[in-house]
Amino acid sequence: MQKPPLVIQHLSKNYGSLKAVSEVSLEIKKGEIYGLLGPNGAGKTSIISCIVGLEKPSSGQIHLFGQEITHNHDRQSKLKIGFVPQEIINHGFFTVDEILGFYSGYFGILNNREKIDSLLKDLQLYEHKDKKVKQLSGGMKRRLLIAKALVHDPSLVILDEPTAGVDVELRNSLWELVKKLKDKGVAILLTTHYLEEAEKLCDRVTVLDRGQVKATGETQGLIQKLTQRWVKIQYKGCVENIEHSYLVSKQKGLLELRIPSSFPIGQLFSELQIKKEDILDLVISEGSLEDVFKFVLHDKGENQNV
Amino acid sequence: MSSLTWIPFWVLFKREVHRFLKVIFQTVVTPLITASLYLLIFGLSLNIEVENVSYLAFLIPGLMMMGCLNNSFQNVSSSIVSSKFSGELEDYKVSVLSHQQIIWAMSFGGVIRGLVVAGVTFLVGQFFYYHSFGSFLSIHSPLLLFFFLVVGGLSFAKMGLSVAILAKNFDHMSAFGIFVITPLIYLGGVFYSLDKLPVFWQSISKANPLLYFINGVRYGVLGVSDVDISSAVVVSLLSLLFFHLAGLFCFKKGSFVRW
Repeated sequence: MQKPPLVIQHLSKNYGSLKAVSEVSLEIKKGEIYGLLGPNGAGKTSIISCIVGLEKPSSGQIHLFGQEITHNHDRQSKLKIGFVPQEIINHGFFTVDEILGFYSGYFGILNNREKIDSLLKDLQLYEHKDKKVKQLSGGMKRRLLIAKALVHDPSLVILDEPTAGVDVELRNSLWELVKKLKDKGVAILLTTHYLEEAEKLCDRVTVLDRGQVKATGETQGLIQKLTQRWVKIQYKGCVENIEHSYLVSKQKGLLELRIPSSFPIGQLFSELQIKKEDILDLVISEGSLEDVFKFVLHDKGENQNV
Repeated sequence: MSSLTWIPFWVLFKREVHRFLKVIFQTVVTPLITASLYLLIFGLSLNIEVENVSYLAFLIPGLMMMGCLNNSFQNVSSSIVSSKFSGELEDYKVSVLSHQQIIWAMSFGGVIRGLVVAGVTFLVGQFFYYHSFGSFLSIHSPLLLFFFLVVGGLSFAKMGLSVAILAKNFDHMSAFGIFVITPLIYLGGVFYSLDKLPVFWQSISKANPLLYFINGVRYGVLGVSDVDISSAVVVSLLSLLFFHLAGLFCFKKGSFVRW
């Protein structure tokens, strides 16, 4: 059986007395998009820095395709990782095309024309390939970072806030590229502050706060477990006598209820004892990843696993 | 040799050479003008002989080596410092480039710039020499000349790399240049012969490895030297080994994280 692309066990990273990451464990499967979410300073970048070898973990273990790389990132393990850093890198003197050529070389590929051209086209950078980095827009610079991370066909791609400061259209095209990578079996670890997009993209997520895991599991599972549904019923009958423990408001024929996601709708209607012919309109709003985020960061301190 | 051994090294070396060629005015033309001024002011105006050769001829190899060492040092140190500033150094760390590959590729890149500056300085020197004496200066030992330029340049490139990787800001780099490199170069016998110094300063100067590099190059061009040439070969090789080990140590202890 193939080993999982990435397994992190009890990873901690301290900077002096500051505990940036504390006992974080996670596992990423082949062809999975995994979201590492959390507010600024949650420890996301520290975890990523330990995975790619920029920082040494204080304790814990990191395994890449079954091989332990905690303190030893050998060449073969580095070949498997593609890393998109959070900060833009300004390569000063060089053009986009030259940078991708150099970067291919740093991974042992001398003639990588075909792959570079394909990435330039996929990332809509082809017509800008002869421009220097300083001549590119913010979005183009981000795309260049992604192209650099993919020149050597890595099996695990780590994207640290790849869409920060990028417009909606471009964000969507970047996520399309991420989906294509997933379809090819590439495992993807990403951090983002766009929770709506993370909800659509990520198979599983871990929510971190101050270096600690606050919630982890399948994205939809977490939403179902930790959020509530809003049920709005426009009712033509008299609402004055309707009572229910989940009822939030009732006025002018509009009933608003907040129910657990797992609570059956049919049971709700029978408990409310309302006639279905008196229902004018019905709106059910599902909880979101943002609700999960708010819940685990502000409402509940303990670890939530699904 | 696997592709992971030579390709990353070769590509980083090419990048380093490309980098200084992109700003050739700053990296080659500026030192050329400085060397021309030295030759014009000191070489032509001081009509004296040192070690039985004209002062102009004495000065040419010294300026060649000064340019080579300075530029080898600066090429590597400025590349690393600017990479730290831009975050590019993190790229090297996450790629398959090993510390040995980075050190050798960047050092050879620096040496190429040093050799270009030394070569151009030699050509300018030849121009002044021809103007003064009606003939060109012949090279006494091309092989030794090349050896000292390459080994000296590599040593200084590795020194630049070590200092840059440990530096926490631009001030650290400029302080090292002003307080260490410049005195070492100027007191290494570029402009004077060792026997012109008092005995005490002669023994102090002999502790300066640059004296051996500069005199090695002078021997290569003119066939004259203040120090025994076999000692110069040994000191040069020991310096190269020392600065290579220093580079490896600094890469292990220093930071790749952006400023």
